Amino acid sequence: MKMVNQSAKALLALTGMVFTHTAIAADTVKVGVLHSLSGTMAISETSLRDVLLYTFDEINAKGGVMGKKIEPVVVDGASNWPLFAEKAKELLEKDKCSVVFGCWTSVSRKSVLPVFEKNNGLLFYPVQYEGEEESKNVFYTAEAVNQQATPAVDYMLDKKKEKFYLIGSDYVYPQTTNLVLLEYLLSKGVPLENIGGGFKKDGSGKIISAGKYTPFGHTDYQQIVAEIKQFTAGGKACVINTLNGDTNVPFFKEYAAAGLTAETCPVVSFSISEDEFRALPAKQLVGQLGCWTYFQTVKSDANKAFISGFQKWLKDTKVDGVKKEGRVTCSPMVLSYDGVYLWKQAVEKAGSFDVDKVRTALQSGLSFDGPGGKVTTQKNMHLTKNVFIGETKADGQFKILKEYKDVFGEPWLKGTFKAK
Amino acid sequence: MSAQSRREIWIAATVALVLLGVMPALNAWVPESSFFFISNFTINVWGKYLAYGILAISVDLLWGYTGLLSLGQALFFSLGGYMLGMHLMLMIGKLGQYKSDLPDFLVFLGHTYLPAFWRPFYSLTFAAVMVFLLPMTISAVFGLLAFRSRIKGVYFSILTQALTYGASLMFFRNDMLMGGNNGFTDFKFMLGSDLRSAATQRVLYIFTGIVLLGVYFGCRWLTRTKFGLVQRAIRDSETRVLFSGYSAVQYKLFVFVISAAIAAVGGALYVAQVGIINPSEMTPDKSLEAVVWVAVGGRGTLVGPIVGAVLVNALKSWATHAIPDLWLILLGSLFLVVVLFLPKGIISIPSVLLDFYKRRIKRPEPAEPTPVTTSSAL
Amino acid sequence: MRRLLVFLGFLCTVALPGLRAETPAEVVAKAVALEDKTDEQIALIKSLAPSPELLSLLTLWKEGGIFLVDLPDKSKLPVLLEEAKDADGKQAALLLQSGKPYADADGKPLRLLASDLSAAETDSELRSAMKSILDLAGLAAPDAKSRLRAIEIVGMEQDLAKLPALKERTSSELDAEVKHALLEAIALTELKSAEPETVVAACRALGELGSIRSQDALRLLTKESGPQVKAAVEALQKIERHLVNVNFWGTLFRGLSLGSVLLVAALGLAVTFGLMGVINMAHGEMIAVGAYTTYVVQCVFGPGLELSPFGLHIALPSLKATGWLYDCYFVVAIPLAFITAALAGILLERTVIRFLYRRPLESLLATWGVSLVVQQLFRLTFGANNVQVASPSWLSGNWTIHDVGIGWNRLFVIGFAAVIVVGIFQLLARTPLGLLMRAVMQNRAMAACMGVRTERVNLLTFGLGSGLAGLAGAFLSQIGNVGPSLGQSYIVDAFMTVVVGGVGSIFGTIFSALGIGMLDQTLQQVLGNPVLGKILVLAGIILFLQWRPAGLFVTRSRSLEN
Repeated sequence: MKMVNQSAKALLALTGMVFTHTAIAADTVKVGVLHSLSGTMAISETSLRDVLLYTFDEINAKGGVMGKKIEPVVVDGASNWPLFAEKAKELLEKDKCSVVFGCWTSVSRKSVLPVFEKNNGLLFYPVQYEGEEESKNVFYTAEAVNQQATPAVDYMLDKKKEKFYLIGSDYVYPQTTNLVLLEYLLSKGVPLENIGGGFKKDGSGKIISAGKYTPFGHTDYQQIVAEIKQFTAGGKACVINTLNGDTNVPFFKEYAAAGLTAETCPVVSFSISEDEFRALPAKQLVGQLGCWTYFQTVKSDANKAFISGFQKWLKDTKVDGVKKEGRVTCSPMVLSYDGVYLWKQAVEKAGSFDVDKVRTALQSGLSFDGPGGKVTTQKNMHLTKNVFIGETKADGQFKILKEYKDVFGEPWLKGTFKAK
Repeated sequence: MSAQSRREIWIAATVALVLLGVMPALNAWVPESSFFFISNFTINVWGKYLAYGILAISVDLLWGYTGLLSLGQALFFSLGGYMLGMHLMLMIGKLGQYKSDLPDFLVFLGHTYLPAFWRPFYSLTFAAVMVFLLPMTISAVFGLLAFRSRIKGVYFSILTQALTYGASLMFFRNDMLMGGNNGFTDFKFMLGSDLRSAATQRVLYIFTGIVLLGVYFGCRWLTRTKFGLVQRAIRDSETRVLFSGYSAVQYKLFVFVISAAIAAVGGALYVAQVGIINPSEMTPDKSLEAVVWVAVGGRGTLVGPIVGAVLVNALKSWATHAIPDLWLILLGSLFLVVVLFLPKGIISIPSVLLDFYKRRIKRPEPAEPTPVTTSSAL
Repeated sequence: MRRLLVFLGFLCTVALPGLRAETPAEVVAKAVALEDKTDEQIALIKSLAPSPELLSLLTLWKEGGIFLVDLPDKSKLPVLLEEAKDADGKQAALLLQSGKPYADADGKPLRLLASDLSAAETDSELRSAMKSILDLAGLAAPDAKSRLRAIEIVGMEQDLAKLPALKERTSSELDAEVKHALLEAIALTELKSAEPETVVAACRALGELGSIRSQDALRLLTKESGPQVKAAVEALQKIERHLVNVNFWGTLFRGLSLGSVLLVAALGLAVTFGLMGVINMAHGEMIAVGAYTTYVVQCVFGPGLELSPFGLHIALPSLKATGWLYDCYFVVAIPLAFITAALAGILLERTVIRFLYRRPLESLLATWGVSLVVQQLFRLTFGANNVQVASPSWLSGNWTIHDVGIGWNRLFVIGFAAVIVVGIFQLLARTPLGLLMRAVMQNRAMAACMGVRTERVNLLTFGLGSGLAGLAGAFLSQIGNVGPSLGQSYIVDAFMTVVVGGVGSIFGTIFSALGIGMLDQTLQQVLGNPVLGKILVLAGIILFLQWRPAGLFVTRSRSLEN
């Protein structure tokens, strides 16, 4: 039973380990970066870590925030939601970070939300989301549904599309977005039978789910594409796609193999940015549509400077695990970038790193000329920004077709559209 | 009581005192500036480790003692968590995002009333009963079917894996009305006290420790009875047990159901402390991770799993912070090394070293027989 | 590029000097130079009468074959590039409007670098305008496939003005499929007719044809009044019956193809698990090795590849292949995928698995550890992102037979699976190695006594199983993701397939793979829900194994504990 003895010692040693506190140097400010660097979400989230580190370096090179250099604390959420909560706790309680930039999926945000509310922390959240949330501890630089989905539908209606097929991954963002879109389409006079993908109703006959849903990691889209083909056979139809990142690959490969093209039946995707595009068969996707608040092809000086600065940083950086080749910029990256600068402005306006004061400054309507154009903070912790509709090109970039200027970020949309 | 046994109890008592007495005391009464202060964060993380320890014991009871490698333990763990989670969701009341009596995710999906199967969960007692009842029922039905048709060895592993996979797919569906991919989170109250306050967390932590201690001693007792002997006999050669006139089915079924219950308790305690439960906790990979803890700690002992669970998770907490890119490589290699070179886990290191020392320095002893392991020899 | 030459030929004959109306080339050049002013561009190209020259110009434009040169006065000059490249990669340029070489002030021809220029862009509005021009002309296209598509699109427009053009074709059309489409397009257009009798006749015709694409139009008709309502309802009923048929055959085909995918993924496992009894949880990663090999081969054929794992810098050369040569990459990738995965498997066998032959449960755990490590290695080498593998053109396309779509890639997997299965049977039954393999698998100790070098046979068998996984990876890269966690999506399904089929029986694996595929697709079709189907299949498998614990095909053995 010496083993018991040994293990007891090991336990004690471990307890000792967590006693050690790290001293906070006076001339730096700690900023947390909470993204998945491993696991399924690493695909998307590592790019955000990279762009954040770049932004910090850029700010530090110009003297930091209120004279203090930013000291990033990077942690890995490992695509594991309870771990996200644990890491958030660590960043706020142990590292005492002034602000945290992070999260991608809705579930990771929901998981850390209680931690931020309890510790009165501040999280900048950069990825398009379903809305229906407004926490005083989260600043949503993300696209709300009315900054992505409804403009895209407007565009399709403009293009005389009459039938809409809804497909998405089975989680909160697609479910909610599609319910909002259902209300929106009905309010625009599109009859129910022209909305495809199926509906589910509760006992009272109220629709509680619209569209076709597949789980994460789904690989077989034969049946669904066959259904789409029949649904859209009459023309004047489009597909509204909220499939999550990597399930898009089997979907689009099947879509192309079935002979469906952007000309006969375009697909508007909300979760494919330039970054995801790198893994998609670009030639088969030419002409499909996307809708974001930034595209790499936006023509502005701010964007040019951002892209060249980031590429230069990639070339020079010594940070482990940063992939240097074939990198692109995309909306979540730019919204992360904007977020850091908005936070810097807010801190400088408040003259303090205190979360309550910074929040007040943020809510007062700060503006920043980001790569995607001017963004302005709102009282409800969202951003007013430009919305672009783009069409994919064979080189993996988007050609911008339409721009909606200064769209107000509105998280509460459900029930606001009334059917005709 | 033998001297060895007495010493073991002494050690267990010391560790328990440190974990359950000293640490919470340092957390509660020592000022934050002091060197001896233990943060709420530390208490919370250790609470999670201890809950994982309970899960690890359940894996070991099946694998280390009965030779059944179940990849379904994560399912029972999560089911326990979900059952308590349902109660905690209802306790949020109107404090959610929507200020509605319904849990947020139901409002999200446009529900206007609480589905019938949710209603009894307003009662904590009902939820507590369900924490046991549901996993035990599922394990009993599945176990009866599986053991009766004499499924064992890797087949049992693969089938439990399929069960877990199927269940996780089911819980991922929003139609299931169990929160879908997001699961449950943002809990506020349990028995009227604020779950996020340090005091409640401390109490939960101590409670988890006590449960772990209880499970530990319960299993210690069980494995030393005649029942435990048959159990190990099944592990070593089921056929011989059958020939001796025992019905292996009943023994195996009993152990399977008991460990499902143990895993479920662990899950419930985990959810109360971590505050999140969702289907990604239910995947076969999570079961395998729990098996790693047991293998690393040392299977076929009851201390091993606990040590393994704490150690591997502490390592994970550290590695995902310090070397995020290498964490999976570290975990995988650790596992490989343990399986290949240390079949009895790290708690066997002292005795292995001692053997080595004896053989080398003193006099050569006859070579040890190869460690007895699982029964099937495909 | 052939189109370019055809077009140049035209220029020589058409572009005669002298006073005349603007040639199509000049108009198109003007339109191209307008860049973002889509409406004006459309107006310009619509002003031209359809001619073969216009068609080749528009096609060239659409496919990015027209380039723009920035002139000093900020205007743009549309040019074409000749195919031949010189040492610097520069190409000779021709003016789009005249076909004459692009020259500087002294008349010296200029050579340009394609990457310096921007291709003239098109957006969807412009392209659909081009398309409607191309389509109308396409009605007379020489090749049946483009004719078919043109007819379908013209039909969907339901434009009565185009009716004569369609009718004109009916007499001369010989191809049965195109004729079918032509009749459908005519009937569809006639639904818009003002005379009720024509509409009723058109409804009847559409019903007879089982026209799926006319459903929406017919449904609109049912909301009107008059005799056409009844006709439309009847037609819809007929189409509905046709759809039932289509869905039945479609599901059958999709089930077969899903079954083949499962089979391909599970065959390697049927060898390592079924024959050797090794639980290889890293089987999925072997599949990923095959897929990544395909990716690397594709990159070498195409633009080359730069990797920087662990601070090293590896640059793979580029063959810069295009056209059919590029499409050949997949043919090269298949054997390479087999070899790489087999080597990886042999390495795994030597370093880990050979110590665990007597401990199957431990082999499960150890290989799971291996799979974690390998996944992370993929991430560190190729990045956490999925990588892009494009299908060669001979795998992307489909046949439509009576409205049942049959994808070439799907057909390919069915054939691919068949070839592999036959190959394995030949190997096991006809070769000395196969004999040794079977001997070792039946009784390792006895085979060793007979002088068989069991170690070597184990090694080769495991290598074979892993190589088969590599083949699966090469194929799966054509229909899905290639990423670090590729293997994870198939591993549970693969194990299920082998267990249901009966461990040790390759025949069983074939039956179970096809059975599971069919069941899955049928349930999806019936329930209309992809996940529920999958869950039910899993539940079905669990129950099935209670009934037949050893799977479909039991390998009998005298040993007590197997």
